[in-house]
Amino acid sequence: MRRRMILLLLAGALWGQSGDFRATLFPIFEQANCRACHNTDGVASATRLHFPEADADADKIAAFGNSLVALVDRQNLEASLLLRKPTARMPHTGGERIKQNSPEEAELKGWIAKLAQLSGVELSTALKYRELDGDGGDVAQDALLRRLTHSQYNHTVRDLLGDQTGPTIQFPPEDFVNGFLNQSRGQSISPLLEEAYSNAAEKLAQAAFLGGDTHGLLSCNPSLECGKRFVREFGLKAFRRPLEPEEQQRYESLLAKEPDFLKGAQLVVEAMLQSPNFLFWINTTSDPKLKAWATASRLSFSVWDTMPDAELFAAAERGELATRAGVEKQVRRMLSDPRAKESLDEFVSQWLRFDRLTTASKDRRKFPYFTRETANAMITEARTFVSDLVWNDGDFMDLFRANYGYISPELARIYGVPAPARDFERVAFPANSERAGILGQGLFLALTAKPEDSSPTARGLFVREQFLCQHVPDPPPGVNTNLPPVTEAKPQTNRDRMSEHTTNASCATCHKLMDAVGFGLEKFDAIGARREQMVLEFRKKSYEDEDEDGKHPVPKRIITLPLNTNAYVAGIPNSEFSSPQQLGAVLANSPQCQECVVKQYFRFQAGRHETAADRPLIRFVTDDFRNSGFRFKELILSLVLFREFPQDKQRLDVANNHQSR
Amino acid sequence: MSQIIINRVRTSRRALLKGLTAAGAKIVIGLPPLASMFNSTGTAYASTPGTAAANAATVEKPIETRFVLWFNGNGIPERYWIPTEEGSNYELTPCLAPLAAWRKDIHVLSGVDNAAASGKGNGHTNSMSGLMTGRDFTGRGPSGPSIDQIIAGKIGGDSRFRSLQIGVAQESFGESMQRNMSWAGYERALPPEMIPHRLFDRLFGAREEGWVNRKHSILDVVRADASTLEKALPGDDKARVDEHLSSIRDLERAIAGLPPEYARVDPPDFDGDMKDWPRIARLQSDLLVQALSMRQTRVASYMLTKCQSLTRFPWLGYTSARHHDYTHSPDKTAGADGSDGLHVLRDICRWHVEEFAYLVAKLESVPEGDSTLFDHTSLIFVHEHAEANPHKNSGLAMLVAGGSKKLAKGAHTRVTGTVADVYVTVADEVVGAGISKFPTATKKIGALLT
Repeated sequence: MRRRMILLLLAGALWGQSGDFRATLFPIFEQANCRACHNTDGVASATRLHFPEADADADKIAAFGNSLVALVDRQNLEASLLLRKPTARMPHTGGERIKQNSPEEAELKGWIAKLAQLSGVELSTALKYRELDGDGGDVAQDALLRRLTHSQYNHTVRDLLGDQTGPTIQFPPEDFVNGFLNQSRGQSISPLLEEAYSNAAEKLAQAAFLGGDTHGLLSCNPSLECGKRFVREFGLKAFRRPLEPEEQQRYESLLAKEPDFLKGAQLVVEAMLQSPNFLFWINTTSDPKLKAWATASRLSFSVWDTMPDAELFAAAERGELATRAGVEKQVRRMLSDPRAKESLDEFVSQWLRFDRLTTASKDRRKFPYFTRETANAMITEARTFVSDLVWNDGDFMDLFRANYGYISPELARIYGVPAPARDFERVAFPANSERAGILGQGLFLALTAKPEDSSPTARGLFVREQFLCQHVPDPPPGVNTNLPPVTEAKPQTNRDRMSEHTTNASCATCHKLMDAVGFGLEKFDAIGARREQMVLEFRKKSYEDEDEDGKHPVPKRIITLPLNTNAYVAGIPNSEFSSPQQLGAVLANSPQCQECVVKQYFRFQAGRHETAADRPLIRFVTDDFRNSGFRFKELILSLVLFREFPQDKQRLDVANNHQSR
Repeated sequence: MSQIIINRVRTSRRALLKGLTAAGAKIVIGLPPLASMFNSTGTAYASTPGTAAANAATVEKPIETRFVLWFNGNGIPERYWIPTEEGSNYELTPCLAPLAAWRKDIHVLSGVDNAAASGKGNGHTNSMSGLMTGRDFTGRGPSGPSIDQIIAGKIGGDSRFRSLQIGVAQESFGESMQRNMSWAGYERALPPEMIPHRLFDRLFGAREEGWVNRKHSILDVVRADASTLEKALPGDDKARVDEHLSSIRDLERAIAGLPPEYARVDPPDFDGDMKDWPRIARLQSDLLVQALSMRQTRVASYMLTKCQSLTRFPWLGYTSARHHDYTHSPDKTAGADGSDGLHVLRDICRWHVEEFAYLVAKLESVPEGDSTLFDHTSLIFVHEHAEANPHKNSGLAMLVAGGSKKLAKGAHTRVTGTVADVYVTVADEVVGAGISKFPTATKKIGALLT
């Protein structure tokens, strides 16, 4: 024991010790950007480092510094992971983040020496940091109110007033936040949107009473009493809860402002459609009086993307939504209604980023038959494909390995298969096509490509972000991203070009995460057509000089190069692949990918990004999903039920015990 | 191409009508200023007869300065944009050529740093957040308000619209940070109006008196609903309903402020290509000039193209890719050395400046007192990055334009300072908005001031 102390002291003397983590080493870690990958959503989430939040106080940062003792080898400081990983003395996916023999490394060594001396209470406190910062730590903040999304608005006015016009086409478009259009953090009501609501309300109210009560909004003949009744009944549907007495009064007075009864009713409708009580639905509430109504809204907007129907309102009123059985009964009923498909379509179109294909452009000289119709066909194929998996109770992980697609003549041409008798019929991919699931379909291959060619980087990034739920850090500032041009003198494949020229270490480490995935998909071009070789065309003049009608084509020289599609997904063991089909199998079998499907759906349903507090829930739902053989309907049910009954402690604890890693 | 024509107005003492919002706040109704509104020399508003101010005789309200922040997505090809020489004898670069007639009215700046975005990784969203707000991108939006909103908060209060957000080319990625340049606050986007007909309807749409009264009754009820709800909520939810409330009040002001002579402005041409961005830009600029001229607003942001813009340029003959694609693959467009690709970027950036020049010309064509509307407007023109390809956040080029005598013009100056330094200098010294602070601003740019 005494001997060891001396050794340690000696080591300390040799290494020099440093004391103030926050002032010295912490900035070095931040500079090296360790947190970009070693976080919950990072590509190195498995070796998460529990970095404190950006605004953490000094104590928290100090505690984090001490917690790194878990990476210190007290017997042999040189062997500490905390030293060997960031300096790339042992293989580190992130490369050499701290230069060997630099002053920064000296600081790191100093801190390692200091940590090696921790003992007793200090040591156990230091190690406790990770537990405290572990899963279920902080409380997830659900918004109390969620604003109607544009699609929810359209569906709601359809169900409320019989409107079929989809008024939100006139609204300022919604933007993506956290990967979805419905995130509560991004949902404000700007003056421009307020004006749009006002204009839409005016038109909707007018249409609702055009030619009298043609939509049957009134349940009585015009009278004072009927006015009260209308405010009460319509108000309940519009606000999705009974009106408070003062609200009832307020709208009754408004109705009375018009001598003509129907005009008064129209005024009430127009006003209610602009009220925050209509525009925001109650997500959670502490008001016991509102609880059942809030549940009805939450279920309805989550599962149906629209307001509750009469039966759901009735179930709320009867108190049936307070029990697990009651909710499960309603959700199962709702899942068999066409409205559930609309909600799922919204999720899928945002998760798979249909918008990026709609806005994509392809070099029309290279891809003359990629048109708007082609893009729409790709979207229809993906929509049909996912919809079939979900509603016909398929194994949802077939999303990545199904050996068929849904094809139109446009797609048949690209896929090189005969067109089916009817558009978007299921067609098996030829065995040698190497296509499978979404990764083999036009949508994914085209939306992740550039106008003129595939982009291994964009494809790898899409797989990381959408299918593995990993965040790849932004490129470092001020880097010239131009690769040297491909010339007739030096023709190269994307792979050779990118591998050869990504010499900047900080670029290379992150690019490897993406490019090494994308290289495996290189036999599919910018519109998803199969190519056995890389075909390079060289012209004497620029494309722009060529006649639009191609009557005077510029002479060109064609060079073909073989394609090497050996690839892997860094971070997933045994993930070597060389085609979409093989990558599909890797993803379908990857627990991380399976959990990511759940996370994406959680983000869409909860309207926010998951936090540490949600981890047990997500793990639990993932288990349910897996145990059901990946039936997406069971995922929906499980997520809804678990969010409705988080107090279901027993199951939560099971999930918690199950976690411990 | 359609032009908006203002019919000559009969002289009216109602030139500066006062209106009352439902909430009782006074606002100024936008009408074009007439000669009779100004003092004998045309340097300020005449004092209104019969008012206390008129009796005091010495009090003349100065003609207000407007502010326009103009944004272009992606960066520039520096060599075709930034003049080589400093001072007044600089040679106009190819990109700046469209401003030849106004070189005495503009100040070209280079060397400006987007300080908030430096060292944060070079995603477009970091750059955009730093550029507009001087603050960090949260992952969802910027962590504070944009400069135009800070200015609007100071000087927009008595206009029909506190500020306007105008957009032109829509092609972009879908993220909030990429599609908006104006931000009311933390992660709160103010989307631009990108459709000329809708902008026209907002500004000049015909309304009847019955309609106005009806809207007031409705908004009274809606406002009461929102106030009740807001009181019952905590935290972020309260903030969101509070925003709704503030938007309701803005709508009330807009309705109360409708000028009775609304029909005098012709609507934009309804036929025509809605993706012909040069056409849309001119329609939007025409409407903006009318809005500024008629005192409907004093502050506007103008998003010609989006952050990380994916604009296509058929009218320039560049159809093989989109703007952002061109910035990252100049070699792919043609020519082994990439020079053709840089020419594409040059022509794109010259188009940005052309549209800006159109707005300047339009502002100058509107007489106001003894000078023109341009003389009472300050414009800042900014690009998302300096050199486009590496997403360079340092050494940005900007333009400051306007007729104010306080603004030093007719020169190119390489400055040491941040974008926020330029904002504060213009906002405080030229616009007179009384703004001394903005994140990342540390000093005023002396070279911009006379």
